[in-house]
Amino acid sequence: MLSRVYVTGVGVVSSIGLGREAFFRALAEGKSGISPVRSFDTSQLGRQLAGEVQGFDPRDHLTQAEQRRVGRCSAMALAAARMALADAGLDAARVAGPRTAVVLGTTMGEAQLLADLQHDWIVHGPQAVRRSVIPRYGSTLLPIHIARAIGARGMVLTLPAACAAGNYAIGFAADLIRAGRADVVVTGAAELIQELQFSGFVRLAAMAPERCQPFDRNRQGLLLGEGAGLLVLESEAHAQKRGARPQAEVGGYGLSCDAYHITRPHPDAAGSIAAMRAAIARSGLTTDDVDFINAHGTGTKHNDLAETKVVHDVFGARSVPISSMKSLLGHCMGAASALEAIGCIFTIETGLYPPTIGYETPDPECDLDVVANTARRGKAEVVLNNSLAFGGYNAVTVFGRPGVLPPPDPRFAQAPGARPAGATS
Amino acid sequence: MTPRAVTGLGIVSAAGVGRAAFFEAMRAGAQPAPVDGQLEVPGFDATRYLGDKGLRSLDRLTKLLVVAARLALHDAGLKKDGAWTAGSAEQVGIVVSNAYGSLEAITELDRVSLLEDARYINPSRFPLTVANSAAGYASIWEELRAVNVSVSDGNCGALDAAACADVLLEQARAEALLVGGAEALSEALVLAFRKLGAVPPPAGGDGALVGEGAALLALERPDAARARGAEVLAEVVGYGTAFEPPEREAALVHASPEALERAIAGALGDAGLAPGGVDVVVSGVSGLRPFDEAELVAIRRVLGEGACVTAPKRALGETLGAGGAMGMAAAIAYLREGARAHVVRGTLPASPRTALVASMGYYGNASAVVMRSV
Repeated sequence: MLSRVYVTGVGVVSSIGLGREAFFRALAEGKSGISPVRSFDTSQLGRQLAGEVQGFDPRDHLTQAEQRRVGRCSAMALAAARMALADAGLDAARVAGPRTAVVLGTTMGEAQLLADLQHDWIVHGPQAVRRSVIPRYGSTLLPIHIARAIGARGMVLTLPAACAAGNYAIGFAADLIRAGRADVVVTGAAELIQELQFSGFVRLAAMAPERCQPFDRNRQGLLLGEGAGLLVLESEAHAQKRGARPQAEVGGYGLSCDAYHITRPHPDAAGSIAAMRAAIARSGLTTDDVDFINAHGTGTKHNDLAETKVVHDVFGARSVPISSMKSLLGHCMGAASALEAIGCIFTIETGLYPPTIGYETPDPECDLDVVANTARRGKAEVVLNNSLAFGGYNAVTVFGRPGVLPPPDPRFAQAPGARPAGATS
Repeated sequence: MTPRAVTGLGIVSAAGVGRAAFFEAMRAGAQPAPVDGQLEVPGFDATRYLGDKGLRSLDRLTKLLVVAARLALHDAGLKKDGAWTAGSAEQVGIVVSNAYGSLEAITELDRVSLLEDARYINPSRFPLTVANSAAGYASIWEELRAVNVSVSDGNCGALDAAACADVLLEQARAEALLVGGAEALSEALVLAFRKLGAVPPPAGGDGALVGEGAALLALERPDAARARGAEVLAEVVGYGTAFEPPEREAALVHASPEALERAIAGALGDAGLAPGGVDVVVSGVSGLRPFDEAELVAIRRVLGEGACVTAPKRALGETLGAGGAMGMAAAIAYLREGARAHVVRGTLPASPRTALVASMGYYGNASAVVMRSV
């Protein structure tokens, strides 16, 4: 018997608010987190704006020893993990031990520590490289810092799945619980904005000058963002035993790879279509059950066209409300789909679809039911979290209001030859 | 885990490229000569395997991985002469471990950015700086559409990749998966190892030879492998992992025998194997003394004094994210190819049937995998 997997806590470090309450309020209000970049000089780069996290002080969340050990990306992740555990009402004694795992997504992890090391080496020579900083670099460390802080002694794993990393981590974390390999998994993703990435996106001509306007006819590209979105996933038995209130259930997820182009989505979108279909089928649902899509919606021409094609192909004539939180947060890269997953929890808990702000001129080529500029109230039993990432990585996750999703489908757990029709991934 | 059949091996290592060359080197106990404390893949020429088109925008890490993927697919009989013969692009995926991403590409762009101008960085090289870039390119070059998963857990990552692959196969997300890891030598990596005093001094002594390479095992359900008449090189039958942080608050780097003990015990339990049933341990012993000592303590505590322990990293180098995959490849060499080299403790039985591959992370993390011959 496969276990159901519940989200029992969420923690957020973002440009629109720290912690569940502030984040949910900002999503309801459609608050923008975009501001001039402060952490490095953008005056010569041609672009100046991003969704930088400016109200976060690690000292409020981490012990002194932790502050010395971590880089800023891990600091955000660790703070969000603590918030998520507190939100779940889980104390250290309940999560300590080998049945708790930590699975995190990211694109570049401690990119700033690496940049600092590189700066010292390239500008001042090898003798200037600080030995003590070296072991603190590496995306491997994100889950390790968290496991250490909360007493988790099971699997520690990082999934560097670019802009789909949050969905990858949540999906794999749910698998660990479903198959009985863990009772609790602290999961999600974290990312920071670093100068090299910023310059790279400018050079790829992918960055908008002022606003990220997903699905708008005049959209001019993405803006970068940063932050950490962490979730506590629990097995049904573990949550029930301690009387925890499930906030949402993690349904099935779909994965695929375009194998087409390293930065652009496949124009016929076959991979993302397969991933979205698989996520719905693996949740034991049909497209009619989906109430809302939390879009990847980067605001680039290619992405939004491909995503429109995916939605039309999967949902046919049915119009499903869709919205992109990237209009508020910018593109938080590895953390994006984790923060958007928490946006899905927001929708399930409040019945509100977060708005796509800056939506002014509908694009006939993106003829979707975009939740324009203000949050919309609607049915929120089943929501879908879409991501189409760098490297052709596609990942789609389903979240359901507790009690809504059918039990996990045992056909997906090793019955040789029992692959359900149409579920390639 | 459910037993998984290894139906192919693609390997690019200091001790040889391709299954046959690698096994021959393992049988011969070849000890490639390090240059300046580094063990590179000597004379690696991707054009030999990939042709000479489209390689210019790729870095060394990507080339190593793509070549390993191509070799693995052909070795497994999933492809012949570049075309699918069994399965299809939609049914085959890849799970790749890598520890640090492309330090080569990041350094290249940082140099331009710091010494010239950030506005001059080459946009066609920028994608290489992203951690899952090599895996993304491998899927493009080899048409792997089922799933593409990148894993990072230091030098435990490739063993964790096997556990991820088990879950993905269990859920029918792919019919076959290329599973392993890749790491490339770079100035920055070597500098980091040197700064940390982790490479042996020129006169010899403690330290690991920094290595590189890529190794991918084709994993399938045994019944599926049999049904298509594939040769099965070995089976992966158990996995365990654990984390134990240092007690001292200020410490970060940590060699934990307790973590490896739990990982090994977990892997044995998962495989349904008693400690006495392990014929050969493919350890991660690399020359880094605190880690080697902790690893040997853990192996002794779980498997007893008499366990046969090998250390192929002495010949292959410390290949970090690829290390566990090199270890699994070495395990196959011991289980079916008559390799007897690199034994550092105990005696190798005449016909070993079971192997335990161990990896100790640098932060108190540890993983282990059990393999058996068929």
